[in-house]
Amino acid sequence: MSESRSFLDPAVLARLMALPLHARHAMLGSVSGKHRSPVRGSSLEFAQYRKYVPGDDTRRLDWRTWGRSDRFYIKEFEADTNLRLCLLLDTSGSMAFRPHPAPPNTLSRIDLALRITGTLAYLAAKQGDAIGLSSMSASGAPVSIPARRGAGHLGLVLDQLATLRPAGGTTLIESLHHAAETLRQRALVLIISDFFVPPAELQSAIQHLRFRKHDVAAFHLLDRQELDFDFEKPARFVDLEGGESLLADPSLIARNYRAAVAEYLRALDALVRNTGIDYHRVLLHESYEAAIARFLLGRTPKKGSR
Amino acid sequence: MTFLEPLYLAALPLAALPIIIHLVHLWRRKPIPWAAMMFLHLAQQRNRGLSRLRQILILALRVLAVACVLLSITRPLAGGWLGLTGGAPETILVLLDRSASMEQHPTALPSSKREAALQKVAKAIRQSSGDHSKVVLLDSASLQPLLLSKPEALLDVPPAGSSDTQADLPALLQSALDYLSLHQSGRTDLWILSDLQKSDWDRSSGRWQNLRAAFTSLPGVRFHLLTLPQPPEDDLGIRLENVSRKAAGDHAELQFDLFLTRRSAVSSPQEVPLRFILNGVATTSKVTLKDSQLVLHAFSLPLDRSLLRGWGRVELPADSNPSNNVFHFVFEPPPPLRSVLVSEEPSEVLPLQAALSSPLEPGRDFLSSPLPLARAHEIPWEDTALLVWHAPLPKPDSPLHRQLLDHVAAGRTLLLLPPQTPDDSDLLGLRWTRWETMPQPVSPDWWKNDSDLLANTRDGSALPVGTLEIQRLCGVAGNSLPLALLPGRLPLLLRPGTERNAFFLATLPSPGASSLARDGVVLFALLHRALAEGAQTLGQARHRPAAANALPPPAAEAAPWKPVDGRESLGIPAEQLPLHAGILQSGQKLLALNRPPGEDLPEYLAPDTLHELFAGLDARVLTDSLEDTRDLTSEVWRTFLFAMALALLAEAVLCLPAPPSTQRNDSPSHAAGFASAPAPLSR
Repeated sequence: MSESRSFLDPAVLARLMALPLHARHAMLGSVSGKHRSPVRGSSLEFAQYRKYVPGDDTRRLDWRTWGRSDRFYIKEFEADTNLRLCLLLDTSGSMAFRPHPAPPNTLSRIDLALRITGTLAYLAAKQGDAIGLSSMSASGAPVSIPARRGAGHLGLVLDQLATLRPAGGTTLIESLHHAAETLRQRALVLIISDFFVPPAELQSAIQHLRFRKHDVAAFHLLDRQELDFDFEKPARFVDLEGGESLLADPSLIARNYRAAVAEYLRALDALVRNTGIDYHRVLLHESYEAAIARFLLGRTPKKGSR
Repeated sequence: MTFLEPLYLAALPLAALPIIIHLVHLWRRKPIPWAAMMFLHLAQQRNRGLSRLRQILILALRVLAVACVLLSITRPLAGGWLGLTGGAPETILVLLDRSASMEQHPTALPSSKREAALQKVAKAIRQSSGDHSKVVLLDSASLQPLLLSKPEALLDVPPAGSSDTQADLPALLQSALDYLSLHQSGRTDLWILSDLQKSDWDRSSGRWQNLRAAFTSLPGVRFHLLTLPQPPEDDLGIRLENVSRKAAGDHAELQFDLFLTRRSAVSSPQEVPLRFILNGVATTSKVTLKDSQLVLHAFSLPLDRSLLRGWGRVELPADSNPSNNVFHFVFEPPPPLRSVLVSEEPSEVLPLQAALSSPLEPGRDFLSSPLPLARAHEIPWEDTALLVWHAPLPKPDSPLHRQLLDHVAAGRTLLLLPPQTPDDSDLLGLRWTRWETMPQPVSPDWWKNDSDLLANTRDGSALPVGTLEIQRLCGVAGNSLPLALLPGRLPLLLRPGTERNAFFLATLPSPGASSLARDGVVLFALLHRALAEGAQTLGQARHRPAAANALPPPAAEAAPWKPVDGRESLGIPAEQLPLHAGILQSGQKLLALNRPPGEDLPEYLAPDTLHELFAGLDARVLTDSLEDTRDLTSEVWRTFLFAMALALLAEAVLCLPAPPSTQRNDSPSHAAGFASAPAPLSR
């Protein structure tokens, strides 16, 4: 593993390789794969019986059923296809956040985001799925790689990930709407962000994606310090996204801050319930391997659910 | 408020230190890169209510605490007297009770009540107002305002010195009121320094109501009543009355009534040495005082037969109240007791003449002469002790009217009997109306028996006034004080409200009008008492209470009044002479001045009464114990330290953080399930 791809840990990859990445909804892939497709195909997985209509391929008639019922039925099977994994990575300035002071083994938000994004890209590519990458930031030229398959494409995605640096304001809402408009086929849209945007606007953007039949998953990266605001002394808080700094006395505003955070989290919970997205809240000091494992396990189809 | 260390006031801007430190800390705060600014902005917006007020309060309390420390270092002077007045008044009027009782020396102090009070007030004014206020002294003896150059002058100027006079506090306040009205003073503090002796305050006077109303209408007037009502602990007082020279045969003696009083916790018999000084020669006599008072009537001192006139005094050993240890007297052969009866009908006054001619004292001449009205100009005004006027009242513009008023003003007695045909002329505010004849004789059902002409006799027996029979009565109109009343409140004997030695008798002594002549006891006592009252101002040697108007105006050719009893060397200003007890001489006239009798009455105004007198006014009563040598204004740095402690305590309460348990439950990470093992919200 080269130095520029330090966000990939071979040991973690090796352990997670045993967990396949499943889509929660049927995918429309270009090639055969491991994922359910909305169209019927020729896999070994039985789907349903259907009455014969003229024009059907007679080779697919179920003769045993004709023998028992004297009627013609066509036996249909599920079609399996590949997955398009679209990775939407928030690279705004706020992703550079690191707790102050930083406890040991605590990553910055962008580091954690890169590890999750890179690992999932690798896992998806290795099971033959197409991967794409888009960065979301108002600073610099955004990265936008369409979903494709192949080892070479994986290398391109990983190389681009290594070049991403957090800066500028967030364009999360605009980017989600843009993705909803530009992704032509159903895909697994994975958003990695701190989601410091108004929940109402976020809900609108996610609903846009869901309307386009995309399977939406989100990694919400937060730190306990951001939630609890447990500072003791007054401090000057410098906006990582370039806004004005703010002088604040935590003893005076902590209660209101926590109330605002709690209100925000309640709104996000409601958003998750309303849109049905696969939402994962991850704290910066958590192991990203455990977070990815939870994500993958959570998407494993239950027995007979197909 | 003043400060003993005013230089430290320059450090007061340091009180802004908490604000400066707050601002410095604000800008030197450690920068923290922060992502969740949306919550910070939201929290700041919500913080603009009570939390912001709390923050301002904390800062203000810190500033207050520092300011209190700085102010306490400057040693501010204020307290329960001037208090936090918020600035010096424009005028400070010091109303000084200069009565004799103010010369009492409290046990622990070498100075008198008056001196101690003046010292305290001078210091209080100096400390509270400095030289910013105009200080004016008004003393009870002269009632003349005196503008002082500085508060300390209160201790030096003659009008603030001792006197043997009696104070008239209502008159003193009236003078203050006149001064304030005349000078249109702005904010004024009136300091009243008094020992609250009842006789000085005349609490029953109707003047108080007018004074209260007048002062209430004056804005910005405050009263500070520095009261010193401590009675003397061990005090002997002496007083003489009825001093007269008696001569019989080859020897002569000085005779007087001696009153010795004691105010002491000890009630055991006490031998008191009396030191008599007669024309500069001293003799000592001892008397035994068994109770609180000893009265010796007709106490006599032998005199040289050739000594016809002279002066002297009687002295007691020094005690805590020197003002009542000496009594001065003068004597001379008693002048004849002359009375003149002016009548339009001489037969009517014959009984009076008979009574007045009867000698009451052996060796003394009692002369009574009737005069018809037409010869009224022959009245010997200077020698007449009693003038009986049985004639129409003279017209106001007539010389007789003026002469009658002068006669009364000089202290002689005037007894007016109703004329046969009353007219509308008046004298001293009273006039005769008309005669009334009773259907049947009536007797007086009330008379004033504690003083005045119809008082009980010395042994307490009442005069037989109630047995008199009155058949004819002449009405009297005007403001008067009745001395005897008939049924139906018809006045029989009365006097004008303003004069003590003029009397109106509403009937005649003749048998057709009353039984006064027939039952002559009452008439005899009445006439001789009136005669004795008027005789006090006869002769060349007189006794008078010390007062500003005690000296009779000397005749044009007479020498001015001068002290003759060794006080010449004291250098007392001439205008202050009548205010002090002693012997004065002008030509052949001798005058003994003594403290007024009211000054010997050991009665003090109760605090409730004092509050009633000043009800509705901005007045503070300061009852001072003179042994307390502290200033009227005191250092109040303790108050500021206490305020600082309070401010810090309040600041600490405001700075208290929220309870830890509540804080934990408020934590969103706790509420969202992040407190222990983080769990994702996953569907």
